[in-house]
Amino acid sequence: MRALKSEWLKLVSVRTTWTLLAATVLIEGLGATLSAALGDVEDLRKGDVSAFIIGLRLQTVLMFTLGALLSTNEFRHGTANSTFVVTPKRERVILAKLVVGFAVGVAGALLYIAFHAGLSLSILASRDVAVDSDLVVNGYVGVGVGLVLGCLFGVALGAVLRNQVLTIVVGLVLFTLAGTVSLFIGTDVGQFFPGEALLALQNDPRVEDLLSQTVGGLVLAGYCLVLAVAGMVLTRQREIA
Amino acid sequence: MAEITVERLTKRYGETLAVDDLSFTVQAGRVTGFLGPNGAGKSTTLRALLGLVRPTSGRALVMGRPFAELKDPVRAVGAALDAHDVHPGRSGRGHLRTIAAAAGLPNSRVDEVLDMVELTPARDRRVKGYSMGMRQRLALAAALLGDPRILMLDEPANGLDPQGMRWLRDILVHLAGEGRAVLISSHVLSEVEQTVDSVVVIGAGRLVMQGTLADLVKGDRRPALVRSPRADELRDLLEAAGASVRTDGRADSMHVHHASLEDIGTLAAAHGIPIFELTHEVATLEDRFLKLTGERGNVR
Repeated sequence: MRALKSEWLKLVSVRTTWTLLAATVLIEGLGATLSAALGDVEDLRKGDVSAFIIGLRLQTVLMFTLGALLSTNEFRHGTANSTFVVTPKRERVILAKLVVGFAVGVAGALLYIAFHAGLSLSILASRDVAVDSDLVVNGYVGVGVGLVLGCLFGVALGAVLRNQVLTIVVGLVLFTLAGTVSLFIGTDVGQFFPGEALLALQNDPRVEDLLSQTVGGLVLAGYCLVLAVAGMVLTRQREIA
Repeated sequence: MAEITVERLTKRYGETLAVDDLSFTVQAGRVTGFLGPNGAGKSTTLRALLGLVRPTSGRALVMGRPFAELKDPVRAVGAALDAHDVHPGRSGRGHLRTIAAAAGLPNSRVDEVLDMVELTPARDRRVKGYSMGMRQRLALAAALLGDPRILMLDEPANGLDPQGMRWLRDILVHLAGEGRAVLISSHVLSEVEQTVDSVVVIGAGRLVMQGTLADLVKGDRRPALVRSPRADELRDLLEAAGASVRTDGRADSMHVHHASLEDIGTLAAAHGIPIFELTHEVATLEDRFLKLTGERGNVR
């Protein structure tokens, strides 16, 4: 519990957290709101609501970055020294970071859904644009779970790589190149990449040859689990120099 | 039992030998200076004591056991390794609260240590606006959070102004006076010579000497400094008596080796030569420190 409280305080005591959280919720949310309010009604009626909910996929990248900072700030700013002197059982620290990452991921997902759905869906309704409720639920569940897993992925990858820039670059490559990997290495392997798994989880209608939503979520969760275990083992074994 | 025991500690990073068969102890109730040039292995030794790096061989023990085996590490050891080890966007108080939470300490303790290091007025400011001296105080506050028996501070005087140095000296002496073992590293002896009771000097990862400050200058024979208005005449007499004389460009003074003060005075008196000054040159701690560590160098 001590490590958990400490990690929570680390998260909430810096402005970057609030900035990233706000950006996660607002950028896509405002984009969707503007589209709903200003878009041509006929186009909106013909469009797929899943793509409308997913938007530009920036929300997951931003949440991944927040998770990555949770881990890599320790090494970027040298606080790993005091952290691991106070808590010599280092795997507890990583576990606490994962729990905090999960919590902030859930909070971010709920805020995202509340803001996005609250504004844009009510505007669509006021403009007599009917949406398929099953697709709406699927879309928000996919994006919400994606935000939680994206944050956990960032925490776990950061624990493995430690270097802040490297972690964020790797994450950006994985998530922004999502949907193109299969073009280069084939669908059989490509669909299991983290970015592709995220698209499957989000049920993105703009990309073909993806896993099912459930399997996509499980694959992404599998990556988080493997990286989390690796992060704990490596953090225990490596030196803090 | 010594509070800190380093026993034949060796730490190698690839081809680089950072610490080489180093042994020393640190006792309670004393401020011990851990001295050596940059790159001598001081920080690596402290990190080994704190369990942050693993010894290649040998042992680094705190209260008789490896750091990782301490039941309550925060109350056993307070450490400040680098004043920059803090998130610049966090306030000083926020930084300490993260550590206090991990240690299971109440927030009231955070305010107590902030008061001890005289940072209360700046406690809610973000650390990126702190001066180096304020960061050093914050690092010391973090080390003091658990009211530890042992303090390990890596270059705590770095960047402090004279007022800050005096403050640091007073607080460290006070803390040692309470029975704590205080180990402070420095590569500048003058920073700590008025603070420490004993010293551990290392060079190139190896122990050069351990003892008191007096031990540090003991055995370093210095020449006599002689000033006389008839220095040339006295020099000839001293050289004829077997002494070796070196001048320093000034007409009335010389540095005399291989002759006691009594011999020089007696010789001058016998020839009616007035003496304005006759003394042993003071061996500064800095001179001795450089001589000791310079012999080993610091590049391996």
